[in-house]
This record gives sequence, structure tokens and C-alpha cells, in this order.
Amino acid sequence: MIKVDKLSKKFPQKEKDFYAVNELSFTADKGEIVVLLGVNGAGKTTTMRMLSTVLKPSSGTATVEGFDIRNKAQQVRSRLGFLSGDTGLYSRLTPREIITYFARLYDVRDNIIRERIMELSDVLDMGSFLDKKIDLLSTGMKQKVSIARSIIHDPPVMILDEPTAGLDILTARNIVEFIHKCKNQGKCVLFSTHIMREAERIADRIVMIHEGRILAEGSWSDFKKDTGLRDLDDIFIHYVNSTSEEEVSDGS
Amino acid sequence: MDLKKIFIIYRKEMLDLLRDKRTVITSVVIPIVLYPLIMIGFSSLMIRQETKLEQQFVDIYLQDKSVTEISSRIVDSLQTMDYVNIYYESEDYLELIQQDILHAAITISDTLGATGYELFKITITYNEAKEMSKMAYSKLRNILLEIETGLVGERLSAIQIDEEILDAIEIKADNVAPPEQMLGFIVGKILPYLLIVLTLSGGAVVASDLVAGEKERGTLETILVSAARRIELVIGKYLTIITISLITVFLNLFSMFFSFKHLMTQSGVDTSSVQLPLSNFGLILIAMLPLVTLLAAILLSISTYARNIKEAQSYQMPIIFAGMMLAMISMLPGFELTLGFALLPIINFALLFKNIMMGSFNGLHFAVVVGSTLILDILAIYVSIYLFNKESILFRTAEEDKTLKFWGKEKSNVFTSQFIVIFFVVMLLLLFYIGGSWQSKDLMEGLVKTQIFIILLPTILVLRISKNNLPQVLRLNKTRPSNYLMVLLMAVPALLTAIGIGNVINYFFPVSETYLKSMQELVGLEQKSIWMALLVIGILPGICEETMFRGYIINGFTKNGFWKAIIVSGILFGIFHLDPFRLLPASILGFYLGYLTLKTNSIFPAMLAHFSNNSLAIILGNYADKIPVLKNIFQDDQISIWYSIIALIIFIVLLRSFHKQNRTEELNFE
Repeated sequence: MIKVDKLSKKFPQKEKDFYAVNELSFTADKGEIVVLLGVNGAGKTTTMRMLSTVLKPSSGTATVEGFDIRNKAQQVRSRLGFLSGDTGLYSRLTPREIITYFARLYDVRDNIIRERIMELSDVLDMGSFLDKKIDLLSTGMKQKVSIARSIIHDPPVMILDEPTAGLDILTARNIVEFIHKCKNQGKCVLFSTHIMREAERIADRIVMIHEGRILAEGSWSDFKKDTGLRDLDDIFIHYVNSTSEEEVSDGS
Repeated sequence: MDLKKIFIIYRKEMLDLLRDKRTVITSVVIPIVLYPLIMIGFSSLMIRQETKLEQQFVDIYLQDKSVTEISSRIVDSLQTMDYVNIYYESEDYLELIQQDILHAAITISDTLGATGYELFKITITYNEAKEMSKMAYSKLRNILLEIETGLVGERLSAIQIDEEILDAIEIKADNVAPPEQMLGFIVGKILPYLLIVLTLSGGAVVASDLVAGEKERGTLETILVSAARRIELVIGKYLTIITISLITVFLNLFSMFFSFKHLMTQSGVDTSSVQLPLSNFGLILIAMLPLVTLLAAILLSISTYARNIKEAQSYQMPIIFAGMMLAMISMLPGFELTLGFALLPIINFALLFKNIMMGSFNGLHFAVVVGSTLILDILAIYVSIYLFNKESILFRTAEEDKTLKFWGKEKSNVFTSQFIVIFFVVMLLLLFYIGGSWQSKDLMEGLVKTQIFIILLPTILVLRISKNNLPQVLRLNKTRPSNYLMVLLMAVPALLTAIGIGNVINYFFPVSETYLKSMQELVGLEQKSIWMALLVIGILPGICEETMFRGYIINGFTKNGFWKAIIVSGILFGIFHLDPFRLLPASILGFYLGYLTLKTNSIFPAMLAHFSNNSLAIILGNYADKIPVLKNIFQDDQISIWYSIIALIIFIVLLRSFHKQNRTEELNFE
């Protein structure tokens, strides 16, 4: 599971430091799909990069399976599966080589790697292209390889940063199916998107963020009750407006 | 650090690279195929061409004006030549030879020599510009010399004198240098240069792919979130660069050696005793390792810093170029490895390899070279790991890249550091190849052409095409008159300080006499007038070099801050002098000129300072031993250290007051 506690990230800028993430706190449990929902630049990617220990938090912290991201980076990374919309693959290698490479980096033993590859190949239907070079594969095939790569070490926590961005409906559906499988296996899934409809379809719980802060947290039905609105976009805009009004009344 | 992980990373990178056509072609196919093709192709072509020429008939017009018994014997001998057609009638043979229809004409006339014997005057008319005609000439000349020997022999025996009386001296060349040492001498000059350049170029292709390439393809993030540590990734990639560099170097060397040997055999040189100096190769291999690892670490740092492959390559260019220039020292005459040189990266290897190849090996120097490189090596790896841990550098991909929208319609940005680096390297290449050849033909004229066509015009052209406001960009701004006065006052102490620094450098890194002489020719007047020298070395660089460096290049770095702009443009200015020994003094001059420009927001003080510096140097160079005051300061071209220190103090005092005077204008700086 993931526990985020007042996590902040500031990027020094000439005039005034820019807070990409500002005191964010939320949790994601085992067998739960939590969606980080926000527009571009809301701080989703920065949050996920901090959780995967690629970026260091400026203040606050988070734990993944009980390991602190600030000083147990190695343990955190070996318990994470990470996938984003723009992660790439080595074009001159085959899916089997790439998956094996990552599995070895995760210390998975070679005989288990072979078994896992066969298993994943069945589940994701990759048998026909397992030994072809990535260069020759279609976008959908590549996406499947990326999924297999991220899950080869059977991590308890999955972090998916806009994994459907730029994909067509059929390919995106692979991802959605995959997420549900993860949930059924009892994994904790953190998923980010800016598409309201996608969030509605997948999420057990939604963490709505804007300009690095949490706007609202709960399920869609909670949000509907809370705002009295029905349209997803309207609900989101309602929350954005209500916080900026608060800020104005705070005088900050 | 887990060695197993490093090996996993290394193995994957090697597999990936060996499937990359570009890598395989540049580091394996080209060395194996190219040299044999060039050498073997060249030699067989040469041989075939020669025999082909020899077996072609040449047409000769023969005219015997004397018609004596002996002249007809000469004509008879000529007629027996192979592959020659002789014609006895021709209307205008001169024109025919010019048109290469006729290949030569031979006219025989006789006079009476002083000794009473007949002296035949034989004129061979031919056309030096035509291959066939040249060959006809040498054929005719050879046979005529043969005939002459025969005739002289006959005359001598007629008066009963032995022919051997003609031999008073016999010269026999006895070369004591064993073939290995000869090879060592040739190879000792060229090989160090090749080794360094090959290592750099072999590693560069791979290095740009390894991190910048991963950034570009979006795979970097996937390995950053994997369970591998950063240090394991860096070292795995680092070992990959080293392996490929070594493969490239050795394939190139062996291929080159065997092709060279083949070429020599083909051209009839006995190569049985020419062998690879294997014991030397062992030493070189040991010395190669720290060098290869150092270059690999530098290339890896560049690749980590760059956003994409293209950017990595444009940053590599100046490094490769600087490496080439430093490595060239092995080809300059008179440079020997000293303890000072042993501390200078690349130069030390160039000189060390040369020593090893020529059999003069010094254990202490070897240890210092290897040891100092290892220290730099560790530093460079540390930098790579540091960069690999730095978020702002790993995620630089997101920034917008707007370079090279150069030919677009709107006012485009020619002030990005990337564009300026490319511009600088192109200018450097032009200076090196074109400027160099101009200057070797006629020094003064070459310098004028270089300043105007290679330095000034391209700069103006780039700024014009990119639709910049020239007076504004070049800072053609007025500044207070007192600034000019200050610049003039500072000129003398600045030059004396510079000469002092030069002497200190020379003390630690002695420059060879031959080299110094060629440098002095530049400042020395000899037959040129002092006014000409002041124009070419004083005024023109003051205008042209200032326009390029303080007018244009410095602007590319002002966004990084006042001092960074001064330092980077100053170092580029130093490199532009294409001389490792003037790198430091010229860079310091560059800092000073950059400071003047940014401080006053005007280019004119820097132009004046540059002009007065160069002019003073000319005047000192020519009159130092003629004027009593100067004679005291300079002894044997050396300035007393005390004068230097006094000059430095005066310079600093003046500079401080200049700095205070201009304080307000620094605020205008963007």
C-alpha cells in the first residue's frame, strides 16, 4: 500500500519557487484502484515520480509497503511496477530480451523469469511476437510488452502515469483490463489521468488534484452528492472554482 | 554496488549496441574494410596505372640536323626503343605537343667541343603537364644517357684510358637504423595521434546513444525506477563505452598496420623484418586503459547532460576537436615529455606513446602520466554519477528545444548555447583548414583574409540572416570617454602581467625552440613594415575577433549569468587560437575583454584593449633590445618576476577603480 504524507516538491525558479506538489496527503490500499485526477500540470507526474523515487521530495514523505521513499529507495523500487504513457522500449531488442533484462535487474531468478514470461505471454497474448524485434511491432503490441515489463517481478504496488495517453480505444482497453487484473490479485494500483470518463470507469476512489493541492477525495457518487451536479466535467470545474474562491477570501 | 547487476546492464548494452548498424559499421566494418580497400586499391591502381602507361606507344618527332656518322648511330638507338613511334616529318610540332597529339620532339645538332670532339646538343621538347609527354621525356632522357656512356667509353678506349678513371667517388648509403626503429619513428609520430582520435571517435558514437539516446526514446525512466542503483547503471554503461572504444582502436590499428605492410610489399620494400613492436604494444595497452577510461567518463557525462542524441553530438564535437588538437603535439618537432607535460591530460599520452614507440621509456614519467590520469578518471566518473543523480539534468527532456529554426521567417534564435557551439566548431574548422592554408602561402595576406572572411563576415552573416539588429546585438554603444582612457592605462600592466604568466607557464611546460621560432616569426617584422604588422595583428583582430567573440558568441551565455558568459566566451576565445600553449594566456585575455564588454555594455573598450594589447606586443617584440628602458625589464625575452608582480598590482588597482566607475551599468544587464 501507499501512504502519502504532506508530500511537497518545489522547483527553484528565479523570482518565486514553484510548487509542483504542495503538501499532498492520501493513501491507497491493497486491492484498491486509486485515480489521481487532474489537468495537465496539476502535479500528477511529479507525485508519481517522487513515489517511484526518481525525484526527491522537498518536504513531507510517503511510504510504499512501509518503506520510506526518502531513504529506502532501493526497497521501494523493487516493490513497484511503473508504467507511463511515454515510457519506451529498446527498439533493437526483442520483448523476451527486454522483459528478461528488467526481471534480472529486479533479482528474479532465471527459471522463474522463464515461467513468468510464458504466463504473461498467455495472459497478454504475446506469443506471436515474443522473439521479434520491437522495431517491427505495432503500438498495441509494444504497449503489451511495456505492461509485461512493469509487472514481471510481481510487484505489490503498481504506479501507472497516464498509461493510456495517446493510445487508441483497443489498445487502451488492454490497459484497463490489466488494471482490473491487478486489483483482483490484491495489488495496490495508483493510476493518473486527466480524462474524467476514464477516472469514473476505473476508480474505486478518486483523488482530485489541482496546482499541486488536493481538491477533493472520494468516489464519484460522493462528489455528486456533495456538489449536486451530474456532469463529470461540471463537478471538476466546480471544485476548481470553489478552491480558488477560498484562496481569494483567504487573501492569499 | 552489485557486480552482478553491473554485468547484466553491461551485457544488455553490448547486445543492444552490437545490433545497431551504426555502431557496428563505425567501429567494426569501417576499420576492417576501409584501410585494406584504400591501401590495396590504391597500390594496385598505382601499379596498374604505371605499367599501363609504360606499355602505351608514345609519338615522337625526330629531327637530326647534324647528320653525322655518330648522330645516325644515336638515331638508330632511338629507333630500337620499345613502345615508341618515331616520325621524321612534322609541320608544327610545338603546337602538336601542346595539344598532346605528339608527346615529344627531339632535335639533334652538333658543335665542336673545346676538346676537339663533337658535342651533340639534343633538345627534348615535351609538355610537363601531360602524363604521356612526361613519360616520353624520361624514356628519351634515359636512353640518351645510356648512349652517352657508350660514346664516352669508346672515346676513352680510343686514347687508351680505362673507363674507370671516371669514378672518383663512390657513394654508398648505409642506414644503421634497424627497421623496427624506423617504423617506431614513423609510427611514433602518427600513432599517438591516431590512438587518441580513434578512442574519442569510437566512444563518442556509443556514448551519445547510451544515455541521451535513452532519454530520447523514453527508456531512461524505466531503468531509473527499476531495482538497479544509479551507480550500477553508470558503471555498466561506462564499461560498454570502454569496450567499444578499445575494439575500435585495436581493429583500426591492426587493419591499418596490415594494410600498410601490404602496401609496402606491393611497392617492393622488404617487409620481412618489419614487425609489430609487440613489447611496446603491451606498454601502450597498459597506458591506454586509463586514457580510454577517462575519455569514456567524459563522453558519458556529456551524454547524461544532453537532452537528446543530437545535442550530445554537438557537445561532443568541441571535445573531440580539442582532443585532436592536443594529440597533435606528438607530430610537432622538439616536444619531449617532462614532469610538467606528464600532468597535462592527452598531451601527456601523445608524448608518452611517442617515447614508448621510439624506445625511450622512462618509468617515472609513465607512473606520473598513468597516475594523474587515473585521478582525473575518478573525478570524471564521479561527475557522471553526480549528473545521473541530479533530477534537473535527468529530466531536462521536457524543456523546449528551439535551436536551428534558423532559416525560418521570424527572427530566430541564434543565441542558444547549442547553436553557438556548432557555429564555433564550424569556424574553428574553417580557421584550421582554410585559414591555415592561406597563411602558409603568404602569412600577412593570409592573416588579413582569415580575419575578414573567416572571422568577421560569417559572424555578420549569421546575425543578418537571423534578422537581428546588428548595432544592438554587437553592443555598438557609446560609453564614457574615461573608460577608453582607463583601458589604455591598463594596457601596459596587462601585457606585462600576461608575459609574466607566459613565462611561468613556459617554466613548467617548456616549449621547444623550433616551435618558439615559428611563433616569433609571426610577431617579428623581418622585411615587413611595422605599420603593416600593426594593421594585420593589431587593428584587424581588434575589430574582427571582437565582433565574433564579444559581439556575438558572448551573448549566447549571458542568460547563464555575467561571469559564466565571460568565462565560457573567454575559454572559446582561448581555444580559437589553436595552440595549446596560448590556450591559458589567450583565455585570460578573453576574460578581460569579455568583462570590459559586459561591464560597459559596449564593444568599443574591448576593441581598444585588444588592439593595444596586440600592438604593444609587436612593439615590444621588435624594440625590446633597442630601447634602454625595455632592455632593463626584459632579459632574453624573459620578464623579471618582480616587474610582473608590480604590473599585476597596478593592473588590479586600475581594474578596481574601473569596476567602481561602471557599477551602475551592470544593473542594466539582463
